[in-house]
Amino acid sequence: MDRLLPLVQNETIKIWKKKRFYVVIAVLVILIPVFTYAQMKISQNNAKNFKDWRNQVMNQINDYQSMLASDRIPEEWKRQRRIAVQQLQYYIDHDVNPNTPNAVTFTRGFMSGAVTLFYPLLVLAIASDLVSGERSTGTIKMLLTRPVKRWKILLSKMIALTMYVSLIVVASAVLTYLISGAFFGYGGWTMPTFVGFTTSGSEMDTTMVHAIPQWQNMLMQSGLIWFSSMVVALLALMVSVLVRGTAASIVTMMAAIIAGTILANMSSAWESAKYVFAVNLDLTVYLNGTPPPIEGMTLPFSLAVLAIWALVGVIVSFSVFTKQDILN
Amino acid sequence: MVWERIILEDITGSTPFAIFREAWQGITLGQEVGALKQTSTRRLWRWISIISLASTLLLVFGFGYAAKDLIWPQAEPYTAKAPEAELPEAGLLSESSEIRITALGDSLTKGFGDDTGQGYVKHVAAFLKEKWNKPVSVVNNLAINGLRADGLAKLIAGNKGYQYPIQQANLIVLTIGGNDLFQSVTGEKASEATGEFDLKQLEQGIPSGLERLKSVLDQIHKLNPNAHVVYVGLYNPFYDMDELKDASLYIAKWNQEAYSIVHQYPNMTLVPTYDLFESALSDYLSTDHFHPNHAGYEQIAVRIVQALK
Repeated sequence: MDRLLPLVQNETIKIWKKKRFYVVIAVLVILIPVFTYAQMKISQNNAKNFKDWRNQVMNQINDYQSMLASDRIPEEWKRQRRIAVQQLQYYIDHDVNPNTPNAVTFTRGFMSGAVTLFYPLLVLAIASDLVSGERSTGTIKMLLTRPVKRWKILLSKMIALTMYVSLIVVASAVLTYLISGAFFGYGGWTMPTFVGFTTSGSEMDTTMVHAIPQWQNMLMQSGLIWFSSMVVALLALMVSVLVRGTAASIVTMMAAIIAGTILANMSSAWESAKYVFAVNLDLTVYLNGTPPPIEGMTLPFSLAVLAIWALVGVIVSFSVFTKQDILN
Repeated sequence: MVWERIILEDITGSTPFAIFREAWQGITLGQEVGALKQTSTRRLWRWISIISLASTLLLVFGFGYAAKDLIWPQAEPYTAKAPEAELPEAGLLSESSEIRITALGDSLTKGFGDDTGQGYVKHVAAFLKEKWNKPVSVVNNLAINGLRADGLAKLIAGNKGYQYPIQQANLIVLTIGGNDLFQSVTGEKASEATGEFDLKQLEQGIPSGLERLKSVLDQIHKLNPNAHVVYVGLYNPFYDMDELKDASLYIAKWNQEAYSIVHQYPNMTLVPTYDLFESALSDYLSTDHFHPNHAGYEQIAVRIVQALK
């Protein structure tokens, strides 16, 4: 422990003083009301057209079924729709409203929608210049001339980064809850939600489905988001070690993540895409029971892929950082 | 020295966390001393570290819990009481305080071919509001493109989501049977039938189709004997093709037989539409030459509203 903790403290304070976390909070505070307002409009419209949520959900099922009847729609979409239909039907059969408008439901939806692009972006705001930033300002020399092992310096950066990733996830959840609650009310913690849907092909297996209160679902989902955000953070740290400039570092990571998202949307034909980390980032699909981007992907598979990528990232970071020459 | 005094305070009083004490001592050992002398920075570190540590623990716990729950799920049956819809009062529609419409059936009820997406159902709602000047709402339009009568019978029988809106409504409108009839000939969806079929086969498809229609109407009646049910009759979309003009004869036969089924239920009505789509066919059919267009749906709605009391 000796000497590592002061280093972590130093790194943590440095990140804070660079005001990156303020930027993250500012982005959240600006964006959340926008989405909340949009969602409120949708809810109001639904409330106007449907007096009863059951009818609204049935109508949704029905629209999907009509879509399924069309020959023009790609098989991949149909598969997703078929599963969505079965899932909604499960909610109807058990008389549970899957989209009650309240702050907890909104927060859950917002977070799961944000996991593939928005959280990585927020994480990159912190992670991308951890090393490359020091290099471009020259402060890295100050750090490395201290009588401290290089791996300790990198490790302290990694620990500080982990702390901020946790802060980002929790802060986004708290802010979303507080802001959306003003529109939807602060309830919904104990509302039942169903987890344990498993999909095989276009069929949904409901034998393992069980109801959990929504706060529990939210906790589980946040944990999954934290895991994928950590993977992004560790890979961003690696890129930050490898690349000289902060801009290059952000662009590299963002390109990888956006490419992965696009791939996830269109890669059903190309099965090997499932080994790309960005395709696996959305772990919440396994919780929600929505079909994964590529057939055959499961939670253990995605966790393994992400863990391997992160591990490689960590190994590369340490081996490069400890040996790297620092030139001017 | 300033920090010695602060450390002394910390050790003697404020913080119970040995780990942070160690951290603060670490500062005095000469690491990164510069910026951290100030108490504000120290307080900042304390807050960040406590909150982020708590967050991390919470999230790691959540992650572990999620992984456990998803990898080794434990099924627990969940039972909720089914919603009991109150049946509407029996009696004339024009005397009820509110009209609630549920629409069932195939693409015609869905409104396929109407560029404005209204279909006849929304027209009916608007016309009824105008006619009786009372609140009219569409409970649900549960039509599915390409649905056949056997499919509808199965949906109503096994799906609470269908039974519930049927029980809520006091007016039920439906179109069904067209796909049964044309599929018996071509094996394709009705909208894709090209007209290359044998009219004899069309005739053979009628009895089984009517059997299914009867089962649909029977179920609706059992679920909600108080609602007024309007069954919209079939028409021949190929009236303007010489070799298929005679299909109208079989459509007429279907409508005739369907009427004798509908007639058995006191609250049911068959609204004919075949005559609209004969000479004025080009005005009322959409470009797919099978479904009505906006004007066609509007005329169907006019018919339905005329038949309601």
